[in-house]
Amino acid sequence: MTDMFISLGTWNWLIFGFILMALEVLAPGVFLFWLGLAALLVGLISFGVAVSWQIQLVMFALFAAAAVPVWRRLARPKPDASASPFLNKRTEALLGREFTLEKPIIDGNGTVRIGDTVWRVAGPDTPAGTKVKVVQVDGANLTVAAA
Amino acid sequence: MSGFDIFAIVLVLLVIVTLIAGVKTVPQGYDWTIERFGKYTQTLSPGLNLIVPYFDRVGRKINMMEQVIDIPEQEVITKDNATVTVDGVAFFQVFDAAKASYEVANLTQAITVLTMTNIRSVMGSMDLDQVLSHRDEINERLLRVVDAAVSPWGVKVNRIEIKDIVPPADLVEAMGRQMKAERVKRADILSAEGQRQSEILRAEGAKQGQILQAEGRREAAFRDAEARERLAEAEAKATTAVSEAIAKGDVAALNYFIADKYIKAFGQFADAPNQKIIMLPMEAMSLLGSLAGIGEIAKATFGESAASAAAAARRPGSVPPTGGTPPTVPPRQG
Repeated sequence: MTDMFISLGTWNWLIFGFILMALEVLAPGVFLFWLGLAALLVGLISFGVAVSWQIQLVMFALFAAAAVPVWRRLARPKPDASASPFLNKRTEALLGREFTLEKPIIDGNGTVRIGDTVWRVAGPDTPAGTKVKVVQVDGANLTVAAA
Repeated sequence: MSGFDIFAIVLVLLVIVTLIAGVKTVPQGYDWTIERFGKYTQTLSPGLNLIVPYFDRVGRKINMMEQVIDIPEQEVITKDNATVTVDGVAFFQVFDAAKASYEVANLTQAITVLTMTNIRSVMGSMDLDQVLSHRDEINERLLRVVDAAVSPWGVKVNRIEIKDIVPPADLVEAMGRQMKAERVKRADILSAEGQRQSEILRAEGAKQGQILQAEGRREAAFRDAEARERLAEAEAKATTAVSEAIAKGDVAALNYFIADKYIKAFGQFADAPNQKIIMLPMEAMSLLGSLAGIGEIAKATFGESAASAAAAARRPGSVPPTGGTPPTVPPRQG
């Protein structure tokens, strides 16, 4: 077994890299993918330049660590690409929408009826029945202004 | 094995462990809180996230989806001292994972207990009848109170529904009887009302009938009176005619009429089938006087012109020798 491992030489890295990538598909965790990439890279380098296995290991560690900042840079531009951007963000979907004030805003607090439930809203004092617009959301708290 | 060998192996292990510790994939529907040395620093949203290994660790994994809690059965005493068993469901959603993690120790238990106590206070302020018929109002009041109370925990309660309100069995039975009695009462009232209505209608019909009959009689009386007036007029005319005729002719002719009528009336008495004894008034004797008058007329007539009775009949005011209706007085019915 060990003989076979040694006899394969640099192929080990490529095999290891692809196995990691395959594992990533089976058990998504993303970091296995980077480890696989690092392993492939080490394998390709060792084909061209003859380096000791210790150096190969160090290279693998460095590539794997470097993958994180590289990925962050690549992933940054659109962190929230989703078909349903408001999934589990119900209040954010309300941003900019208009509702009729059910109870007047007194001392900064009133209610509006959205769907079949009542939401408490904050904003400048306004009489009931006024149309208001959601201008800011923070968790379950809505801030409104006269529309 | 040289030191470099070991270093290289350990380095690889370290990098792998670090990567595992630093890369966090948060599934959709959850938010994870991150604590740096035990203190909350940030919330991870769904997707791939990086944290600083060794310093940061994942604190709570908060479900951001709408959740439902069963509000366990409890006994509630209403305002009118009926004990009812009530259970329900509450729907809530976490909007702020950090508050839900650290502002309250056990979120679902807190919401459950809060809802239970509020069910007691809301239903305790209502009568049993109100409790049974104003479920929507109870839900609405509960929602407002509980929602306001859970707000500091970054949670919104979307809905609270009372599932079952079960009064004690004997109360249910009494309510059933009450409802039945109510319906029986309504049926009785309805039938009594129907009877009253029908009797009123019948009485009104009778009244109308009597009025119409009276009106008929009144009309008839008016017409009778008119007829009598007309008759009197006619008699007056007839009398005038007779008196004129008498003035022109012989007074004795008058006696003829009287006698004629008298005899006819007498004849009717005789014809009456059940009249065997006829009482004649004293005045009947004057009939003989009339007959004597007739004899005088006849004598006078036949004495003047014995040759022709027809000629005598033609004389104005006189009476034809044979019987018949008197020419001047037409027969009238009273």
